[in-house]
Order: sequence, then structure tokens, then C-alpha cells
Amino acid sequence: MNEISRRKLVGAGAAVAAGLGGITAASAAGANRSQPAVRAQGEKEEITFYHIWGTPPGGTPSDSKHPAEQLIEAFNAQSTTTQVNGQTPGNYFETLQKAQADMAAGNVPALVITPWSNIHYAVEGLGVVPLEEVGGDEFETVFGNVKENVRSLVQLDGQTVGMPFAFSCPIFYYNADILAEAGVDPDTMFATWESLTEGMKTVQGVLDGNPVIGISYNKDWPAQTIIQSNGGRVINDDGEFVVDSPESAEAMQTIADIDAAGLYDRGVSAELRPSFVGGSTAIFVGSVASLGGLIRDVPFTLGTSPFPTFGDKPRKASSGGSFIGVYAREDAQRAAAWEFLKFALSEEGYKIWMQTGYLNATTYDLPILEGQEAAYVQLDEGLTSETQWPGARAAEAQVTWGTYVERIWANDIGVEEGLQEAVSEVEAIIG
Amino acid sequence: MDTVRKQTVGGMSATQPRRGFSWYRLREQSMPYLLVAPLLILIGVFIYYPLFYSSYLSFFDWNFVRPDKDFVGWDNYTRLLDEPRFRRSLNATWIYIVALVPIQVFLPLGLALLLWPIRKSRMQGAYRVMLFSPTVIAFSVAAVMWLWIFNPLQGLLNHILIDFGYSRVNWLSDRDTAIWCVIIVATWKTIGFNLLLYLAALEAVPGDYIEAASLDGANHWQIMKSIRFPLITPTFFFVLVTTVISVNDDVFGAINVLTDGGPFESTTNIVYYLYQQGFRYFQIGAASAVSVIVFFATVLLTWVQFRFVEKHVHYG
Repeated sequence: MNEISRRKLVGAGAAVAAGLGGITAASAAGANRSQPAVRAQGEKEEITFYHIWGTPPGGTPSDSKHPAEQLIEAFNAQSTTTQVNGQTPGNYFETLQKAQADMAAGNVPALVITPWSNIHYAVEGLGVVPLEEVGGDEFETVFGNVKENVRSLVQLDGQTVGMPFAFSCPIFYYNADILAEAGVDPDTMFATWESLTEGMKTVQGVLDGNPVIGISYNKDWPAQTIIQSNGGRVINDDGEFVVDSPESAEAMQTIADIDAAGLYDRGVSAELRPSFVGGSTAIFVGSVASLGGLIRDVPFTLGTSPFPTFGDKPRKASSGGSFIGVYAREDAQRAAAWEFLKFALSEEGYKIWMQTGYLNATTYDLPILEGQEAAYVQLDEGLTSETQWPGARAAEAQVTWGTYVERIWANDIGVEEGLQEAVSEVEAIIG
Repeated sequence: MDTVRKQTVGGMSATQPRRGFSWYRLREQSMPYLLVAPLLILIGVFIYYPLFYSSYLSFFDWNFVRPDKDFVGWDNYTRLLDEPRFRRSLNATWIYIVALVPIQVFLPLGLALLLWPIRKSRMQGAYRVMLFSPTVIAFSVAAVMWLWIFNPLQGLLNHILIDFGYSRVNWLSDRDTAIWCVIIVATWKTIGFNLLLYLAALEAVPGDYIEAASLDGANHWQIMKSIRFPLITPTFFFVLVTTVISVNDDVFGAINVLTDGGPFESTTNIVYYLYQQGFRYFQIGAASAVSVIVFFATVLLTWVQFRFVEKHVHYG
């Protein structure tokens, strides 16, 4: 009996262990092979577009259709040659995961929304097709509608990697009611980091001692704006990771000091926005793309502001967002993808898209949402590109740096030590 | 006995003269293989093929999409040894094992022993439902509740603390508390399954033994120590082995939904690290190398348990 049980259990244990050991390949082997991405539907070429806008970034599902879906529907209604199927696998990571799994299975999606920070990986790892190749003779005409300073943000080695669709930058949101109750003037308060820190101490008095400011997820993104605005760099022109400069250290110390004063909300990503919307904190740093959702969700008067400056130094905000990359391998799919991109970049298409809160990346004179002014101030001052992480391990480098930003800001590690460790670790990743 | 068995393999004596081909005999001989074949094929395709393919991929630099795999030899393994994030994930992995294995093995046992005396009562069914229902609730749903409980500014837990005069705690964003939040949620989510196993094992203990011991004057504790527990040790051992194997998988959902591996990677265990490497960073070779390491570590831990613990198991 003993022997039999042993065999059974060893077998069961080995089988389960084998299952554990095979997680990666099992997932690969089991990757979506059910539906071909390309299917004919009548006369139209059917293409798949993976995007993230099932739910507004950081928000909750809306009753009305997201402008991304409205855009797809408007295109499908007027196109006689192409049918776009929009799919929303989840956030950026999940969307790339799904796209990559489908590519591995041979079901290559024609269009995938791709974060700008992954631009190198899109070229080297996923084989995104340059738009000059996709659009041919029409490319220059269509892209003539894109602002020159935006166009350069999606170019790599002289080629246009994707359509700059979701164009944004981080801004400051604030609860105007709480600031009024505390008797602080927003314009004065958000002028410099020094005045912000002083103002927040006053605001904390009406928040029962709660922290005042929450800085949203992907902390490497606002960190880039903060570091640059003090004269530092994240990655220099030679592709070196250089955050250990005195300017960077001074900028990072500013947030660490805000935390040390009990003003910084250390909550996890999923907690920061609810804390702001619920009135527990007074300031939230997030993407301008969240504006539409926040206007809808907050029960108070919402204000926005550009980033504070370090004294008289110029503000150098980081742009962000994502581009639509063409990944289709077949000519017919690429042609259909181009048809959609042309519509998305037309005045009619872009007008639909502009309801989101994202910035206008085109030369069209389109109305802006109330509150977007803060972002346009930063745009006019000259947005720099979001850090474009090089190499095959780009995403890992970005997350590693983001972790150090979190640690430094929350005083889990000293600024100097944290920046040096970050440089050592990130350099090892990007090589 | 062995000799006899060998002589009668296939239902015929080894000393019998060979006979000609027979469809009937072929069918008789092949039937057992045919019956187990579907299961063997499934195990082969979904367990052993991925295992060997993972081992193969661990020697390449690839992302599933690039047409060519670059052979890198042992680089994916040596890289892990130099990787601070991998080493940090090992720390969390051990914390989960050391903390969760005793909790998941002994807590349901204690609950089962508490529920056993009221087995005839309707209340036991209610308790079973209460304790088992978290097991079947999707993590994405449960997470909403737990995020609200742990929210530092608006959460239930901090409201209670503040009401009692304590200061607020950043449950999920403090490295000292976040890992315990994950452990609590994982325990809540998985405890019901082991509880059911223990209840079933207690049910199977023959009543005659208990009755005889009672007649001999054994008290409740003596019956527990000398009869009930020894007779449920096979289940106890099974729960122990499977818990050690699965404990780092069990916390995956809680890590993913509540902390995303943070704060500062403090809740990232080796399974979450594997997931990040493979499906966030698209480093399939590195992820495969981690999976191979997980496999051998699991086999080693399982062997240790069989070597040192199984001898205390009473198989009846």
C-alpha cells in the first residue's frame, strides 16, 4: 500500500511540477489559434485593430461608446473596401501581449496601439511596418496634417513608425473646492515646486492630515518631466542612461522631501485615482487623457495646471501616449490598414477622436476640452519625447527605472544611492 | 508473486507454445493502451511537451515573433544569477512558502476539526459555503472588495484602526505590510479547498475505532491524537505536498490584482517574475530558464517531503 501511494503521489507531484515548469511554453502552445485575424466579409477586406479604449485610461466604463469605437464605426460606415474590427484586450501591456501571442500563432493583427516608449521594440521585436512603406505616394499628403514637432516623436532612423494617435502629457489635476477651503490660490501654488510644497502644507490642514498629492501610475513618465525641468536627462543623445546627475538628484529629492513632509500619497496605482475622486487627496498628477473621465467622475470643481517649475528654469514636459502601428504582413491587409489610418487622420476622423481628452496632434483647428489648456501650455513650450527605451529589453528597463522612482519618492532608498543603483541595474538591462 | 506475474503477462502463460495471429488477442492486448491513450496524449501535449519545449527555449533569445531564434547557450541562466530582480523574487518566494504553507496546511485542518463535531447540524453546510465560496469567486471580482478594504484613505481596515486610535497604514504600498496582505488574500481564496479535503478525510475515519476507544475510556484529545489524526495523515501529507507545489501559484492572482508585484517589487515571487519576463518583457528565453529552475526546485522540495515526512504517514 505504501509503495503504491508513493508512486501515485510522486507521479502526481511530478505532473504538477512539470505543469509549473512548463508555464511559459504551455501558454505559448495554447496561444490563441482559434480565429484567423483575416477573413473576407463580402467585398470588404477585414482587419483587426487592437486598442486599449474599452475603458478610459484610469477610469470606469462609460455609458456611451468610447470615441475610439465611434471612430471605427464611422469609418466602417463610409468605407466600401475595408472593415475594421476593434478589439480591446486590456491595458497597453495586455494589448501587446495579445498582439504578440496572435503574431506567434500566425494571426497577425493589422493595427495595434503601441506605447511610444516601446517604439524600439516595435521595430526590432515586432516588425512594425514604416508608414512610408504602407502609404506609398499618399504618405506625405496624409502626414502633412500632423504637427511637425509631433511627427518627429514617432520617427526612428528617419522612418515613421506609426500614426501619433493618442498624444498626451502629464498634468496636475486639483480639487478646486478643497484649495478654496484652504484659502490657497492655485496659480500661485502651482507656480514652482517650492510654492507647491508650501501650499500643500496649508491644504493638508483641511484634509485631516491626509497626504495631499498622488502621482499616477507609470511614475517614470512624470519623473522624466520633473528631471528634465531641472536640467537633467533620463537617456542622453548617445542612448546612455544618465539619471545620476546632480540636476536629476535635486529634482528627485524634491518629491522625496514632499513625501517626508507627509504630503505624498504612497498608495498603489489602483488606489490613487479613487482617493482623489473621493476627495481624500487634493492633487492628482496624471495624463491629460484622463481629463474626460475625471470631469465625468468627480463630484467637485476640477482644476488643471501645468507642472510647477524649478525656480526660473524652463519647464520641459514629456509627451506620451501611443501610436497606431501597422503590423500586417500581407499587402491587402496593409492597404486596408492605410485606408483606416487615412480616415483617422482626416479632419472628420480626428474630430471624433478629440472627444477623449488627448491632445490635438494635427494642424486642424479643433475645439479643445475645458481643462486641456494646461497641457497645451506644455505643448507650446516644446514637449520632449517620452523616453524611448532602447534594445530588446526596453520594457524591463522602463519598469526597473519606474520601481526606483517609486522607491526614491517614497524614501525607501536615498536619492543618491537609488539613482546610482538604478543606473547600474538599467545599464545592465539595456546593455 | 513477481515471477508469476511476468509469466502471465498478456493473459497467457510464458511456457505455452506460440500461436498464430488473432484479432481477438490483439484487441485484448491493446485495449488497456487504447483506454489510457487519450489521457497520455493530453498529458503529453499539455504537460510534457511544454516542459521540454520550455527547456529548449531556455537556451535561446527569442520573443515568439522574430523569425529567428538566437542560440545563447547558458546565458539566460547565468544572467539570472546576476539579476538583482531575480534574487529579490527568490526572497519573496521563500517568504510565501514559509508563511503560507503552515497556514494553508494547519488552518483548514483546525477549521475542519471545529466543523466536524457539528456535522449533523445545518450550520456546518452554511460554514462550508462561507469558507469555500471564496475559492470559486474570480480574483478580479474579489480584488475590488479587497482594494476597498485595504485602501489607505477610504478603506474599511484603516477606518477601524483610526476609530480605535491607531494611525493609518498604507497596507498595499508599504513593503512591510503588502506581502502580508497578499498572504491574507491568498489564504482567504484557497483555504476552502483544503478544508473540504480534511472534512472528507475525517468522514472516512471508521466510526468503530472511535466507538471502541470511547468504550475504553479514551477522552476527546486521546481519540484525536491516537486515532483521528493518524488516520487522516495521508490526506495531511497530500495537502502538504500539493500546497508546497502550488503555494507560489496561489498568490499570483493576489499579486497581479492588488500590488502588481510592488511596492518596490517586494511582493514579486518567482512565478510573477516569470510572468513578467515572458509576457510583459517578452523575454521568452529568460522566462523559460526561470520555469526550468522552478521545475527542478519543485521536484527537489517534493523529494525532500517524501524522504523525510512520508515515513510518518499512516496508510492504514
